[in-house]
Amino acid sequence: MGTESREKEISHDEFDPIGTLALIAVYFLILVVMWIVMWYAEFLDGGPTVVG
Amino acid sequence: MATFVDRFPFEAKVVRVAFALSFLFLGLGGIGGMIQVLHRTGYLRFVEEITGGTYYTVLTSHGVFLVVFFTIFFLVGVFTWAITKDLDRELGNPGLTKYWITSMTVGALLTSIAILAGFTNELPALGEVSADVLFTFYSPMGAHVLFYLGLALFVTGSWVAGFDWFKTWWGWKKDNPDKRIPLMTFMVLTTMLMWYLGTLGVAVEVVFFLIPWSLGLVSEVNPLLTRTLFWFFGHMVVYFWLMPAYMMWYKIMPKLAGGRLFSDPLARVVFVLFLILSVPVGIHHQYLDPGIPEGFKFVAMTNTMFLLLPSLLTAFTVVASVEHGARQRGGKGYFGWLRALPWGRPAFSGMALAGIMFAAGGFSGMINAGMNINYLVHNSFWVPGHFHLTVGTAVALTFMAATYWLLPQLTGKPLAGVKAAAVQPYLWFIGMTFMSNAMHRGGLLGIPRRTSEPQYEQFDYEPVFGSVAELDFQIVIGGALLVASLALFFYSIILTWFGSKVSADGGEGEVIDDEIPPALSGPENAPRVLDNLKLWVGIAILLIVLAYALPFADIASDGIYEGSEYIPVMIEVLT
Amino acid sequence: MEIHKYEKAWLVGALVLIFFFIGTIAYVSAVVGVDMVDDSGGALDVDEVSEDERFADPRVEQVGEDEYEVYMIAQQFIFRPGTHDTVDVPENSEVTFYVTSIDVIHGFQLVGTNVNTMVIPGQVAEITVEFDEPGEHGIICNEYCGDAHADMEGLLVVHPEDEWEEMQGGDG
Repeated sequence: MGTESREKEISHDEFDPIGTLALIAVYFLILVVMWIVMWYAEFLDGGPTVVG
Repeated sequence: MATFVDRFPFEAKVVRVAFALSFLFLGLGGIGGMIQVLHRTGYLRFVEEITGGTYYTVLTSHGVFLVVFFTIFFLVGVFTWAITKDLDRELGNPGLTKYWITSMTVGALLTSIAILAGFTNELPALGEVSADVLFTFYSPMGAHVLFYLGLALFVTGSWVAGFDWFKTWWGWKKDNPDKRIPLMTFMVLTTMLMWYLGTLGVAVEVVFFLIPWSLGLVSEVNPLLTRTLFWFFGHMVVYFWLMPAYMMWYKIMPKLAGGRLFSDPLARVVFVLFLILSVPVGIHHQYLDPGIPEGFKFVAMTNTMFLLLPSLLTAFTVVASVEHGARQRGGKGYFGWLRALPWGRPAFSGMALAGIMFAAGGFSGMINAGMNINYLVHNSFWVPGHFHLTVGTAVALTFMAATYWLLPQLTGKPLAGVKAAAVQPYLWFIGMTFMSNAMHRGGLLGIPRRTSEPQYEQFDYEPVFGSVAELDFQIVIGGALLVASLALFFYSIILTWFGSKVSADGGEGEVIDDEIPPALSGPENAPRVLDNLKLWVGIAILLIVLAYALPFADIASDGIYEGSEYIPVMIEVLT
Repeated sequence: MEIHKYEKAWLVGALVLIFFFIGTIAYVSAVVGVDMVDDSGGALDVDEVSEDERFADPRVEQVGEDEYEVYMIAQQFIFRPGTHDTVDVPENSEVTFYVTSIDVIHGFQLVGTNVNTMVIPGQVAEITVEFDEPGEHGIICNEYCGDAHADMEGLLVVHPEDEWEEMQGGDG
């Protein structure tokens, strides 16, 4: 199961996880954008805040 | 072909018992979840017919059953499997093994009885009993002593389980003096060391404070002190739930995807980081507590942010391992390889969807960790939104998915109800998307968590877009899908459990798959120092002392056995 | 230990992210001035709350031109003041809340805002808030405190200045 559909064997030296890098770069961007949105739109714009 | 159950019948039985208990509590906890969904949103309030407050009996059972019993019974099961398989060696001391599984079972039973007694508030022979104190059981709200005693038996049982696994490893080490600790064993051992350090807090809280106090041996306890002891344990425990899931993402998921683990050394680094950073962060649950100076909160915050590192590294290593599988299966392109993965195979799809949910839960966790922004989300509906993505999906769905792959090895029977199993992870994913999205958004509106009826008389919530009714609808739809998913899981598992064995010669295509290929970059590339467990425990203790010595001294200066008397939670029963 | 170059890049990215997060929090603390509730309210004996001059008569008190102090007791299942009578303050005021509990742990939050703190027996939560705009804010207990926890609510009213002056005149 699972492995029988393997088409080829890829060794350590032949493998560059470029797809992973692409995915994780997208995740990084989402995190940064969402973080900024949460802080500015939701938190600092959310009415009364504790200042002391 | 001989699989786990044939080679290690005793260990297989231990794992099956642990899993059976785990799933029993999963089912009970799931029923509690459905009742809560219907009650909070006002769609159906039948617990009110007993009494409004009975909601909290259900909520306590939902919390304790799922995050203590479901998760930890599964953990002791899967760790027993991991150690035995990884070291290719029996546990070797059946008496010890029977002791811990019995202690944990009896403990879980006692605590469950105390919780469920909350429906009537009394038990034969014991008189008044209730424990509607929720998973966080803060003083001065007191539960019946049975609740604490049960937890003590359960936790000490888990300590002995860890000792059992350590003993097995020590035996193996004697026979293999120069070998590296195999990876799954390394993960089990570091996780248990983390557990020993972190449970100290809750053990001191329960043994020295809550038990004597609930028996009337001391009249008062300091609520802030016991609360801080709880959170000393309370954040570490989330990694205790998560580490078995991580273990399966690293060890099993790559193989299911048709690939191999990308990096064994980095996996070790990740577990070491969890060992040293999981405890000195607990105060981030107390950002809004009076009585704790801001400096201590800032220290906990920076530690928490660095604790993101092992999870972010895991994201890369695990996805790269899965990508390796996809490339070997002929996957192409920057994103096109994702299509080459075995999405129809529930063991894989469950873990992969769990991982995606964890990425989203990671974000709301980062917000929770953000000290001052905690004002916005603390104790709001956002928080259960967050942990239903993490423990409620990343952990729970991974455990269910892993069961599809492990159960055949533990029973010698092929997975049955395959079609139901194939759909199950997707239902969970969609259901949790609805429910958790609505919880997060509701939290930002100011809807509180842990409140039976978050509809108030003196004010209305003011959504910028959408409406509270729309959020409630999403929660109910989500909850219904989750219950359906759970039903499919039980259908497949029960059918497998009571099905017939694979014939001895393997039969047609019924060979039980239990092989795990080696990592692409193996342990030989990992610096030896990573296996120096004493060093990491030393550093972990040092960080704990740095983060906690001053706060504890500061809080204890208000008095240790001074503060609040025992306030039992007795919810009125309709007569 | 060999680490793939992409993974090294991600390690750097992850550290950048962590420092960016810590930086945001430090900035909001130091520059924007959002302050954490801490030990400044001090500790007190739970049994002696009613003898403490701040809490013997829970109330709103004017302490400066635009400065007010609110002494509030949270208990199963009301806020005093707040539940049976509203907490009234004028707009453009700086209000410091002192909140303590006489029984179990409670929460205190102005619904949908960042005004939020735990209320722990034996401790006094002290938080200062600026109210620049008139309006009503629901007060809720957001920490489970017993069977009627869901009923524990109150109201804070920030009055427009003219209305506030009228109210003050009415008293005199």
